[in-house]
Amino acid sequence: MKLGSYEVKLEKKAKVTGWEAATISLLAILIGLALVGLIFRQAGVNPLTGYRAMFSYGFLNEFGLPLTINRSIFILLCTCAFIIPMRAGLWNIGMAGQLYGGALGAFGVALAFGARESQNPTVAPGFLIALMMLGALLGGAVVGAIPGFLKGRFNTNEIVVTMMLNSIVFWLVAYMIKEGGPFMGGGGEGQGFTLSQSIRPPTALGGPFTIPLALGLAGLLYFMFAKATLGYQIKAFGLSPSAAKYAGISPQNVTLLVFILGGAIAGLAGYHYFAAVPGVSKIPLNYGDFGDLSFYGIICGLISMGNPLVAIPFALLFGGLTNGGRFVQGQLQLGYGIDYALLGILMITLVAFQYFYRNTVVWKKMEREQ
Amino acid sequence: MPIHLVKHGDTVLEARGITKRFPGVIANDRIDFEIRAGEIHAILGENGAGKTTLMKILFGLLQPDEGGIYVQGEKVTFRSPLDAIDLGVGMVHQNRKLIAAHTVIENIILGHPRAGKIPDLGRTRDEIAELCDRYGFKIDFKAKVWQLSEGEKQAVEILKALYRGARILILDEPTSALAPPETEKLLASIRIMTRDDLALVPFITHKLPVVLNISDRVTVLRRGQVTARLRTREATENSLAKEMVGREVIFRLEHVEVERGRPILHVDNLSALNDKGLPALKGVSFSVHEGEILGIAGVSGNGQQVLAEVLAGLRKAEAGRVLMDGIDITLTGSLQRWKNGMGYIPSDRIDVGSIGDYSLMDNVLMNYHFDGAFSRWGIVDSKKTRKLTEELISEYAIATPGPDSTAKSLSGGNLQKLILARVLSRKPRLIIANLPTQGLDVGATEFVQNKLLEAKRQHAAILLISEDLDEVLSLSDRVAPIYEGEFMGILPVEQAGIEDIGAMMAGLNQPVQSGETR
Repeated sequence: MKLGSYEVKLEKKAKVTGWEAATISLLAILIGLALVGLIFRQAGVNPLTGYRAMFSYGFLNEFGLPLTINRSIFILLCTCAFIIPMRAGLWNIGMAGQLYGGALGAFGVALAFGARESQNPTVAPGFLIALMMLGALLGGAVVGAIPGFLKGRFNTNEIVVTMMLNSIVFWLVAYMIKEGGPFMGGGGEGQGFTLSQSIRPPTALGGPFTIPLALGLAGLLYFMFAKATLGYQIKAFGLSPSAAKYAGISPQNVTLLVFILGGAIAGLAGYHYFAAVPGVSKIPLNYGDFGDLSFYGIICGLISMGNPLVAIPFALLFGGLTNGGRFVQGQLQLGYGIDYALLGILMITLVAFQYFYRNTVVWKKMEREQ
Repeated sequence: MPIHLVKHGDTVLEARGITKRFPGVIANDRIDFEIRAGEIHAILGENGAGKTTLMKILFGLLQPDEGGIYVQGEKVTFRSPLDAIDLGVGMVHQNRKLIAAHTVIENIILGHPRAGKIPDLGRTRDEIAELCDRYGFKIDFKAKVWQLSEGEKQAVEILKALYRGARILILDEPTSALAPPETEKLLASIRIMTRDDLALVPFITHKLPVVLNISDRVTVLRRGQVTARLRTREATENSLAKEMVGREVIFRLEHVEVERGRPILHVDNLSALNDKGLPALKGVSFSVHEGEILGIAGVSGNGQQVLAEVLAGLRKAEAGRVLMDGIDITLTGSLQRWKNGMGYIPSDRIDVGSIGDYSLMDNVLMNYHFDGAFSRWGIVDSKKTRKLTEELISEYAIATPGPDSTAKSLSGGNLQKLILARVLSRKPRLIIANLPTQGLDVGATEFVQNKLLEAKRQHAAILLISEDLDEVLSLSDRVAPIYEGEFMGILPVEQAGIEDIGAMMAGLNQPVQSGETR
């Protein structure tokens, strides 16, 4: 392409540094925000006012910020649940079902030890908290193991199976917590029973302890993919299944394992929001909204290219924007769905700008032709 | 303007002073050569000599930094392959660029300017049939591409280029994937094309006899420069090899005498199915001893691949047994076989033998990730892996900037050296080498063969699968020709004449049921 006396060319490049990737992502976010600014204008709102309100509630406000962080941690866990199978070349679209499974596991354990009927469960509260977490991990892992096993053994499509399981487990939860279900809470509002004060997990610096846990987990996963033989084997299978098989890596085992690990982490996301976040402590009426929120884990995993540490700022961004967007919509009386529009457009610009990870724009002064 | 009105011997395309630099290397250094109508002008060079770069420049996939291309004396700029195609340059890639699920005719018309509208298949079919008749191709137009043999796929690519109006045909390694009878057919078609004043430019790394057989002129490249430019009738196999490699090459290997030890691998009446579920291996029995090379000679697709995969634990046996050291391993997985001292060199280096996006270190780890000595508490010992990789790079003279480079940056020969280095470094007692020198240049072939002989000297039992009869006969102690999944016999190499083996590979003798005396 010619621009004046310059020639502008796109050239392929081999590698992208961390700084370049960060710059490209930032640019994508700015352009996405600018595009949504047009929607704000259309709705008769000054984009700057809109964004100021959105960001100050999402990231600075004393009520908004904790909400943002809790949501971001939830998204981060779902991202990790997506990333592990992704590095093995497999698509986990079932974080929703897996996190419901985790919630059922955790609250099922609580139920089994009498936490629904009485303020004082039949075992020591600390022990029960640990058991509930284990139940969440197991519940998620079981839901995850199903597509993993079917994929490894019969080569079924894991996308279809995980999607369908989302629906199945969604209704299983509904059955459990609604009229007459074993997890039904008192009062019949169609939500699960509330955990008593004694078995709500501890907080760290005012937030649920699952925050440092999730951040640590992201770091651990990063380390696993960088250094551990297990990470090596998963990545090898993801890059080339036939080469991995040649190297003695069993396709069945890897497939099952990544889905079990991913499912367990998604189960932990369910535990985080329903059991550990202060003020929830039950499977709420709107638990389906969290299934929807879990899908941000997919986009977050894709944008961060499977790197769990890079996923942290993106999870924070999406957590803050879903939160701030909803707030602004109410406060400025915007039309329904502007928060979804914003997130949708941001995802598109972020993914589109990944083109520049592999290509670079070159400006060249043209030589005057004789 | 497309190439037009040429007569035999006219220069149709010239490259003058082509230079192309990549970071750290000059891939093409002031290359000049010319192509004439009705001639076959072979470009010969080892892997990494700059052939691929030159080919890409001629077809518009790359632009030269300096120098230019002239078509019928006029300077042209190929911004993309489309420009080259429009001027009458066609290319037949080594890795087929066809759509497997489409029919032959659909593949041929794909991308043709006329196919943008509603394709007139009837007319197209007649036109392509005419091309087939003229050049001696026999293909079922309604067949899907995945059903075709390698030779037929190549014919489809050639037809596609010709149908698009190519007058200059660039052929990348035209014979490397073909069985001997298919090679003969291709060469016959090529000869007819030259009679029609087409210019053909095969790029070839090895198979010097093919070059001598068909070409009129040869240009030899070495390290990006033209080292020889001659008429083929003035050349000999040795002189070409010397120009390519830069030194004398010994074509006949000394036979290595090693005392035959106890049997390591024993295979009993083994049968297996191929990917399509058809019987591909039908009851073969043999054993391989310490310090022995058993060569399996056959045209590709006669069950060798299936045999290798079953022995490596990558494919299920339908019947029969595999014993290693007298222990039945028929049901043992590949991981356990690696641990037991098996080493498998697969024929597919790119998709099976290596992981392109992995570094050389991680590729070496493919045979070590399960080894307790290379990990601690589940963490890879990267220091040790790096050291081993560096040692292998220097011992095997692998041309690469270092252990952190990716495997896909290696040329074919260097990649094979890496795979070989990695497998042999485990000091396997049993080596299954499937087409270990396929597609390699003269220098790399010699290197690989010597490494196999060195392993034999160290008393490894080696099963060598090869389509190259010369290779089988010069390396092996015993030869088993394979045809349609059955051994046609197992002969000591001294008793195996090249004509006899060739006939058995073609299925002309009765198979030997009992295998061998033990």
